[in-house]
Amino acid sequence: MPNQNASMIEKLKEIMAVDFAVWELSLFLDTHPEERKALEDHNKFVRISYQLKSEFESNYGPLRLDCISPFPYKYINSPWPWEIEY
Amino acid sequence: MNENKRGFHIDMKLAQVYIPMQLYGETFEIKQALRYGTLFPELYRPFPPQNTME
Repeated sequence: MPNQNASMIEKLKEIMAVDFAVWELSLFLDTHPEERKALEDHNKFVRISYQLKSEFESNYGPLRLDCISPFPYKYINSPWPWEIEY
Repeated sequence: MNENKRGFHIDMKLAQVYIPMQLYGETFEIKQALRYGTLFPELYRPFPPQNTME
């Protein structure tokens, strides 16, 4: 697995943690749309998520099918989810 | 006790539930949140109860 290394896995874990926080705050905001601090935290984590994913993708290749790929198509080079040892 | 064909107790009210509104307070550090399955300490209730909150 050419792309798999400890720093890639650390980055993936960070992305998963940030996306989980985004998800949790989205659920909270569904019932508390006027809770300003929660919305600020939500937006903060959304920005971090975009940032981390864009860094990850430029270093390790596409994370998702809707990523723009350089030639040749890069998505197939990434490890499958079940090939990653966390 | 009267029961109808489906087995409900027709003379009794079913339970009423209440759900207090959650307030926004402290949140877990996000990697810990992912491990615990919730961002919110007030919703962290492992079964059986364990003293794993650090």
